[in-house]
Formats: sequence, structure tokens, C-alpha cells
Amino acid sequence: MKVLIAEDSNSDRLILVRLISGLGHSVIEASDGTEAVNLFREAQPDLVLLDALMPRMDGMEAARQIKAIAGERLVPLIFLTSLTGARDLARCLDAGGDDFLVKPYNRVVLEAKINAFNRMRAMHQALSDQRDHIRRQHLQILEEQRTARRVFDNIAHTGCLDAPNIRHHASPLSVFNGDVLFAAQRPGGGTLVFLGDFTGHGLPAAIGAMPVAEIFYGMAAKGFGATDILTEVNRKLRRIMPVGMFCCGLMIEADFKYGSVRAWNGGLPDAWLVRSSGDRVPISSRHLPLGVLEPERFSVSMMVIDVSPGDWLVLMTDGFPEARNGRGECLGEDGVESVLAKLMPWHEPFEALLAEMREHTGLPDLADDLTLCCLQIIEPGASESLPGKAPESVLSGPADWHCVYELRDRTLADFNPLPLLLHICLEVPGLRSWSGEIYTMLSELYNNALEHGVLALPSAWKTSPGGFSRYYQERSRRLEQVHGHHIRFSLSHQPGEGGGTLTIVCEDSGDGFDYAEYTAARSDVPMASATGYAGRGLAILRRMARKLRVHSPGNRVEVIYDWRLPGTATSGGAALPTNEDSE
Amino acid sequence: MNDKPHLDVEALAELQDVMEEEFEVLIQTYLADSRSRIDSLKEALLAGDADQFAKAAHSFKGSCINIGAPRLGALCFEAEQLGKQSSLAPASGVLERIDIEFSEVSRRLQNFDSEP
Amino acid sequence: MPIETHRSDDGSTLTICVDGRFDFSTHQAFRDAYEHSDGSVSCYVVDLSDTTYLDSSALGMLLLLRDHAGGDGARISIENCNSDVRRILSISNFEQLFSIG
Repeated sequence: MKVLIAEDSNSDRLILVRLISGLGHSVIEASDGTEAVNLFREAQPDLVLLDALMPRMDGMEAARQIKAIAGERLVPLIFLTSLTGARDLARCLDAGGDDFLVKPYNRVVLEAKINAFNRMRAMHQALSDQRDHIRRQHLQILEEQRTARRVFDNIAHTGCLDAPNIRHHASPLSVFNGDVLFAAQRPGGGTLVFLGDFTGHGLPAAIGAMPVAEIFYGMAAKGFGATDILTEVNRKLRRIMPVGMFCCGLMIEADFKYGSVRAWNGGLPDAWLVRSSGDRVPISSRHLPLGVLEPERFSVSMMVIDVSPGDWLVLMTDGFPEARNGRGECLGEDGVESVLAKLMPWHEPFEALLAEMREHTGLPDLADDLTLCCLQIIEPGASESLPGKAPESVLSGPADWHCVYELRDRTLADFNPLPLLLHICLEVPGLRSWSGEIYTMLSELYNNALEHGVLALPSAWKTSPGGFSRYYQERSRRLEQVHGHHIRFSLSHQPGEGGGTLTIVCEDSGDGFDYAEYTAARSDVPMASATGYAGRGLAILRRMARKLRVHSPGNRVEVIYDWRLPGTATSGGAALPTNEDSE
Repeated sequence: MNDKPHLDVEALAELQDVMEEEFEVLIQTYLADSRSRIDSLKEALLAGDADQFAKAAHSFKGSCINIGAPRLGALCFEAEQLGKQSSLAPASGVLERIDIEFSEVSRRLQNFDSEP
Repeated sequence: MPIETHRSDDGSTLTICVDGRFDFSTHQAFRDAYEHSDGSVSCYVVDLSDTTYLDSSALGMLLLLRDHAGGDGARISIENCNSDVRRILSISNFEQLFSIG
């Protein structure tokens, strides 16, 4: 240790120097206060022994200056004194002294004090080093989060969150508090909003958020609806996240044209539909959060509500009702509801909730750990001019074409042709808006051709006790042995006024089935038959298509599907999305 | 008057132990310092500077206590108190006693090294 | 101790009691409570009578326990929840995965 001794008495200083160098420390000497301060600044000693009364600058003043120079560094300062009054001793400590040593100096006491301060200094140094280490790491984490946020923004962008009918509050680093908020205009009109709240904070939440953003925006742009996106998000999260991590989520699919909203809430607080009439409808959590259930057990059944322009949807993460005031009380879901109950028709729920939160917390800004989003139902067609709508080329792309695609033998077992076929169809300008229906038709046709046509699996098995697993075991077994079989899709499209007609013919090399009963019965479709087509699939096709024809001997099914661009008057034909679950 | 001994023999023996070959230097340093302290006290008294008188007495007291001259230290304490009270009238008497006691301490210290 | 466990006389049921806040701070203790039990436990009871608060990381821990106990085949009951705790469990629809009493 380097010890500074400031003492004006030469003989006293001699004794101290001798004592302290005898303990193995190096010594610097000053004979007055000014010299002591200067030497302290130059030599940065670890411990200072300071006479209280010295010429030029006295010990008290020197102590103050030395402590100021030392700053955060702990430099123990011991006053040397023959002062005996308690008040004088107290003055030494007030001036920044840590202890005092009373004359005559005692070797044992001096050694004990120096050792004690050395321990304190070492402890302080360790703590300071740890603090600096943590501080550096914290800065590094913040910097990494900013970088990660930029990466995240490139994937997630803001979608249409800036649209005039959407109001939202989300922390700039919300992805690291576990909250995500996405919104996209659907290609066919309407808006999708997803609000998510991951368990945990920081990096794990952010990593989980990335694929959710990519799935949401990617699938929304391709025309997929809420159910497909939720299914995919759940599947992805279930696969990538460790058990125990999940994402509470709320999906809104607002269809302005048909004045309906479909909602799915898995684990978030009640969302609300606030009608312009003042009526309120809660959208409560009815599902497990995303990423918990295996895909086959996951339920995407959605709540369907009729809405009118001017109605508001209010979505929030649990940080909002759980926000505490100075007394530690939560705003509560009751608090949220009472704000909404008091709304006047000209009030926006977003502003009212913000005002309530400011009053509750007494703070001007909303906290970082909550997300609030309000979506207003607007007139149909108004969304066409909104920002963030996925680009859709109406003028270019193939509209009049025919193609045949045939899959044979091993390929039937190994390859799923549906995305490819869907992609071909969606190249037709404007048809993307109906991707959900087209996908449904293609997949019903393909699965029926494969399972009942080529593999000749009886659909009745699926409904019999224990038959489900038998059905899938048998399916895999028979797929392994497929030989001399094919499934052929013939697709053609012809443009029409404001839309077009898509014809899909699916033919398989199987034996066909007793189709007569299906072509005869329009509404009363049996659910299953001994060896044939799954009845339910056929019913779905019939609902969507203008025309459904099964050709003899039942291995060739033809679907004619009329569609129109969203926003053009619908005069019969297809395009009413009726294959919805409803509650 | 005080009844403290001229020298604290035990303290001096310990100092001798600590200082080893430098003990003689310490004694000579103390004696030289003390002479200049006494001069300062005289100057302050002459100038009627009670504050300076108290400070000089205080410093002198400290080194006396450290070196093991308790009776001289006690006299310095008396002088310091008088200085603090600004009653310099009785101070010259005390200073006289300090002078006498210092001569005694000085004589004894010069011989201390040779004492057993 | 925030987490206490006891076994039924026949050793087949492990009861885990959580005292106070059931959140990330109890993570390690909660895991230790079931991971250190031997293989003869077939049934788990999570007793929340003295649990004042439960957050989403506690939900995650319950899912970890469920996974440890065999996933869909796990026999776990969550008992004696106060109304706040029950509300959190029901918002997340955990009654689909656990028997909640």
C-alpha cells in the first residue's frame, strides 16, 4: 500500500514513517496541508494519515480537498491528533476523516487500523470492479438489444399500425419485455391484428417473437386468414420454444365489407368490442396460449361478432390492468371496464384509457411493460387507401391459362403438391384474396383422391372407436406400397369482368366411389360412407364452388369456382366466405 | 503544577525499538524542533497573538507526547488553553516553566541512549 | 422455505406447496421439488393454499412439471387456489391441461 503522511512536526513524522514502512508499506511525506493535497493528486496514495493542525492549509481543509479529488475511489483518511475534546474529534470525521489516531502513537493500534482499512479498501475495490463490470455488461446488453431491435424491425416492420383507424401504445423495446403487436391489411380488404405477450423477458422472448412476426406478415400478405396464421404460429412456437415458454396471444380478423370480426384470445386479458351505441362485448380468453399444445390438439375456433363502422376493438396485454399506482394498487380489469362503460359516443377508448392510466399512476407516460391497441371499424373500401396494404398487382400476371400436373407413385408418398398448386393459382392478379378458399378446395380434392381414391381407405374408420389411429397407420402402410397410381390436377383459369373463373379437375387412378348419392343429395350429405369420399369434404366443396361435378366412375371431380375482386359488387356466384367456424 | 514524570521511560524504550539506528536522529530532530517551537511561542507572546500562541503550543504538545515527555506536554497543554482563552498575562509564567522543563528533558534525552 | 414437499404414505403422490409469491424467484426451488423425487411418484398435487400471487413464469413452471410428469398422460392437480390465482389460471385456460380444484 502507498501511504501519504502529512504532519508538520518533524519528529512525529519520523516516527510514523518508521512505523509504517516497518509494516511493509511505501510512504510519501508532506509537512503541510497544501503539500499533502498536491502529493495526493500526483501520487494517488491508498491511505492518508493527516495531522489535524498544520500550517498553510489545516488538516480539515486538506481532508475535504483530498476526498473531493478521490471521488468514487475509497481512500481511507486517518486524522493524527492530540485533540482530546469529543467535539474536535467529531469535526475531524465531519471533514471526511474515516478514523483518528491519538498521540502518542501506538504501534499495535496503528497496525490494526491500517490492516482494517486495507481490508475495507480491498472489499470496496472488489465491489467497484464488479459494479463496473455489471455496468459495462449492461451497456453492452442495451447496445445488443438496440441492434437486435433493428433486425426485428426489418422482419416485423410496423405493418399498418400507423393507419388512421389504429391507435396503439407499445414500448420502443417492447419486443424485449415480451410484447409484440402486428397489424396488416389483408389483400382482399380487412385488417389482421395480432397482440402477443411472451412469457419471460429479454432475449428468449425476442427470439420467439421473430418467427411470429415473419409468419404473421408473410402469411397475411399471401392472403391467409387468422385461423391459418394462428395454426402456424402455434406449430412453430411449440416446436422452437422450450417447455414452459409460450405466448399469450390475441388475433383479430376484421372484415369491414361483411361487418364482421373474428377473434381468438389465448391467455390475454379480455379484449373489448365497444360499439358506437355504447354496448360492449368482451372477447375473453378461451384458449391455451400459443406454443403450449401439440398442433393436432390446437383449436382455432374463433368468436364471430357483427360490427358496424365506428365500433372500436380494444386490445391490451396484462401490463395494462396490472399497472400499479403509488400505493401498489392495480388498475384492474374492472378499472378498464368502468372506463369503457363511461365512454361518451364522441370519445375514443384509446384516449380515455390513456387518461385513466395517467390519473391512476400519476405519471405522464405509460409504462414500458404494457401494450394497448385500439382498432376502429371503418367503412368497407376505405381500407384500400390505407398504408401498409400488401402490394397487389391487378394489372399484370397470367389470367388465361391451363395446366396439368400429374403426380405418380413414390411422389404421392413423399411430396405435398398443394403449396405449388396454390402458388400457380395465386399468380392470377386478384385471386390472392381468395387464397383460403382455393387452398381448401385443392386440399379437399387432393386428400380425397389420395386417401380414398389411390389408397382406398374407408373414411368410416375415422369415426369408429380407435379407428383414427388405425386409419393413419394404414395410410402410412399403404403409401409405402403405392404402385402404378397417379393423381392428375388440371387447372384452368379464364378472366371475367372484375374477377374470373377457376376450374379444377382432380382425377385419380383409383376405383372411384358411389358418387350418385352425392350428386343427388344437395343438402343432406351423409358424413361418411363405406369406402367412399369423406362426405364433409364434398359438402365444403359444394358450398364454395359454383358447380361441382363427379364424373364416372367417381374418380374424377370437377370444381368450377367464380370469384370477384373485393370491392366490386357481388352478384351471386362464389366469394362469400361461409366456411367459418362460429360461436 | 503537574506531577507527570519528565520522561516516559517505557514509551522511549519502545521508540528506541521502533527507530533502531535512527533513534538518535529522532532525538536530535525533536530537540531542534522544540527549540524553534519555544522561539515561536516567545514571538507570539511578544506580539500578543493569542491564536498563534495556542497553535504553537498545540503542535509542541503533540510532539512532546509522542516522544515521551509527558510533563512538558502537560505544560504545553496549559499554554494552549491560555492561548485559546486569550489570557496571555499568565502565559509568560507558563512559558518560563516550559523553558526550564525543556532544559531538563533535553539533558535527560541526551543521556537516555546510554541508560540501560 | 417458499417451497415445501411431502409424499403420501405409499410414496405415489408428491405434494408441492408454494408459500407466498409463485414467480421466477421460486423457479429453481420448484424444479428441485419434483426433479429430485424418485421414479415411484405417479401423481402430483400442487397446493396453492398459501400462494398469494402467480405470474406467467409460474405457468411456465407448471408446464415444465407437466412435461416431467409425462405430458398428456400427467396426473397433476392444482389445489386450493385463491380467487386471484384461479383467475390467472383460467385466463390461460390451464384447466384444459390440469385438474384445478
